[in-house]
Amino acid sequence: MFTRLKELFERYRYASQHVVGMNRRNAKYIYPNNARRDYPLVDDKILCKEQLAQRGVPTAETLNICHGLFDVERTLHSLALESNFVIKPANGSGGKGILVLGERAVGSDDTAQTEAKWLAPAGKVVTAGQLRSQLGNIVFGAFGRKLADRALIERKLVPHEYFRSLWPDGVCDLRIIVLGETPIMAMLRVPTRGSGGKANLHQGGIGVAVNIATGRTERASLKGQSLRFHPESGVELVGGTIPGWQRVLVVARLAASSVPLDYLGVDLVIDEDGEPKVLELNARPGLEIQNVNGLSLEAAQSLARALEPV
Amino acid sequence: MRSGSGLLALLIAFPLFLITYKVGALNYRLEDILPRKQYRVAVDMSLDGNLGRVAVTTFLPQSDEHQQITEEEHIADPSFRFLSETEGLNRVARWTGSAVPDGAKLSLSYSVLATPIAYDIDPGLDVPDGYSQSIAAYLKPTDNIQVDHSDVRATLREVGADNGTLRQRLQRIYQRTSALRSRAFKGTTDAVTALRLGEASCNGKSRLFVAMARATGIPSRLVGGLILEEGQKRTSHQWVEAYVGGHWVPFDPTNDHFARLPANYLVLYRNDQALFSHTADVNFDYTLATSGKLVPSPRIRTALSVFNVWGLFERLKLPFSLLRTVLMLPVGALVVVLFRNVVGMPTFGTFLPALIAAAAGETGLFWGLVSIVVVILATVVARQAIESLRLLHSPTLAILLAVVVLTMLSTSLLADLVGLESLARVSYFPIAVMAIASERFYLSLVEQGRTSAFKQLGGTLLVVLACYAVMNSLAMQALLGAFPEVLLLVIAANIYLGKWIGVRIMELWRFRSLLQQRAMA
Repeated sequence: MFTRLKELFERYRYASQHVVGMNRRNAKYIYPNNARRDYPLVDDKILCKEQLAQRGVPTAETLNICHGLFDVERTLHSLALESNFVIKPANGSGGKGILVLGERAVGSDDTAQTEAKWLAPAGKVVTAGQLRSQLGNIVFGAFGRKLADRALIERKLVPHEYFRSLWPDGVCDLRIIVLGETPIMAMLRVPTRGSGGKANLHQGGIGVAVNIATGRTERASLKGQSLRFHPESGVELVGGTIPGWQRVLVVARLAASSVPLDYLGVDLVIDEDGEPKVLELNARPGLEIQNVNGLSLEAAQSLARALEPV
Repeated sequence: MRSGSGLLALLIAFPLFLITYKVGALNYRLEDILPRKQYRVAVDMSLDGNLGRVAVTTFLPQSDEHQQITEEEHIADPSFRFLSETEGLNRVARWTGSAVPDGAKLSLSYSVLATPIAYDIDPGLDVPDGYSQSIAAYLKPTDNIQVDHSDVRATLREVGADNGTLRQRLQRIYQRTSALRSRAFKGTTDAVTALRLGEASCNGKSRLFVAMARATGIPSRLVGGLILEEGQKRTSHQWVEAYVGGHWVPFDPTNDHFARLPANYLVLYRNDQALFSHTADVNFDYTLATSGKLVPSPRIRTALSVFNVWGLFERLKLPFSLLRTVLMLPVGALVVVLFRNVVGMPTFGTFLPALIAAAAGETGLFWGLVSIVVVILATVVARQAIESLRLLHSPTLAILLAVVVLTMLSTSLLADLVGLESLARVSYFPIAVMAIASERFYLSLVEQGRTSAFKQLGGTLLVVLACYAVMNSLAMQALLGAFPEVLLLVIAANIYLGKWIGVRIMELWRFRSLLQQRAMA
């Protein structure tokens, strides 16, 4: 009985040292590095983009910003002839309220008077009326905890062909954990049919560990099950190299240095020209990346330090 | 850990010092600290007045060193007038009414907190030669207490209670009377009948005791009252008191109490009386209903000199159950913190499980949980219904609050209708928290899916159970009742946990593959 308890305790101590849990993340990573008053600078996608722009961090082109209910018609009018754009609430989390629009699907007359239509993922069609109500809901704060919000309209990014080859429908993105200005851990998130075009892991995206030094994809897992090939496209997920990895690290560092927070998740996409574009920053990055990489944050931290040029 | 260690040391040392001081210098003892059972007695009477004049009398208990009577209430049909007065040694409740209808109801209720008492009778004490006039009256025979009857005298000689010390005589009388076979006999048995039959109920045994004691020169009298036990009954109880060394000392030959009175005995009246007297032919009926609850011991309320919150609540006439709940809440919150930060159990809010457990403490755990589930389900349905309106956050919460109130009231009404009293009485105090919890449940249902939402709900209910166990444990209540400074230790524990960065137990499962693979490497 006693030895069994002792063994359990030993195993627990071992676990405590080899994985960063919620308590340790909050106390040792978030609180000392991220001041609470700075959260809005990254939580608000528009504010965040302004910060990133000041440092010249590449991001997706901003097409427009809808500032409130009064601004919906103007915004809609300006989008009437656009194709391939994304509408996001400035303050939203977990991909809520994001609308991705593709090519215009209306006839040839191209006037703003006709009700415009756009193709959307999974073969859907979105009308101007639906777009209007989406904008209205966003600025009304329906997707966040604020009384009012703004809507950010960005050019839709076309990922590099390496990522399109992994899974063509939806966008693969990279998550880089940056501590101070050192990228310590990275993963690639690949959508699946089940994840509905989204790459979030808890929505069914595949997590692929990326070697922070080399950019090589080393292991992949879907909901805790390790795998080698994309279950739907059949493409091999591991053993490749992220194109332009050193450039990715430079951009991630630059992005992290443009806000006063020191523990960040930098989400970026490499576009068809091979240019990394920062999607957003996250002030409270999750811990699942440890499972994906098979590495604790702390171990990753010491590994990265060893690699960092002095 | 460094930055808080001074504060932490202070928060631990100060309460420990206070506790040591109280135990050492103020002489706190365990029996002073443990909560005591307070009984609520309801005497419900009914009668058919046939629109005539009716009078009913019964006895009201009085506070003394054995029993403390509080919260006395009486309710009666409007045709009655109520009067309470002292009659000799007793307090009498008297209702008189004219044009009293059939099915008229009278009710009397009070709270009793009794302390057991026991006497040591000096073995050297002799039966005195004479008594003052008022005491000597308790040596006289009555119709049912035949002091001078030859059978009584003969039995006295037979058991040797006609000589010896006072204590020896009482012991012999006590042995003789308690040796009578017990018999559940309703109605009055006089001393001689009890003796001749060799069996009697409590009043027969007690009358024989009194007759023999008086015959041997010890003043004694009958005592009437109730044995307090939770439930409904119609039987009252009788025992005796004998005058020993200037004290009236209790004896119960029926239930084997020699010179002592247990904590569940309620004294209602003294001398040979009937519990109720009323106008004839009114079809009088009654029930005696008793419920019990734990309250802080009266000694705690008075013995505490430092930070006497019990005294404060007594002066402000606030219910002690509220103070108990308030004192236990931080402890409940600590339990929640343990579950969230150490176990990793998801719950709705930090205080909600503790608040629910506190509410359930008053109404019973099972029905408390039932009402929570009912309210949450109803609120989720309502939330779903207003979803399409896309309302902003605060008005949504305000609507949900109204729905929670309506649901609780309807549940109470419905439960009352079908006679589920415990559910009907479910506490209303965590209403606002319930509204917030329901909203959170709904949001996680929508945002994180059914699995995650029900995991959180299950986690919440589980933590409620743990909080309930801790918050309603006698030991914790006694500890906090006597030593409210323990709350500083609770703060200290929270400071420690606030800096504790170990892996949560449920994270061991989440990161199992990572841990296994590291262990193999």
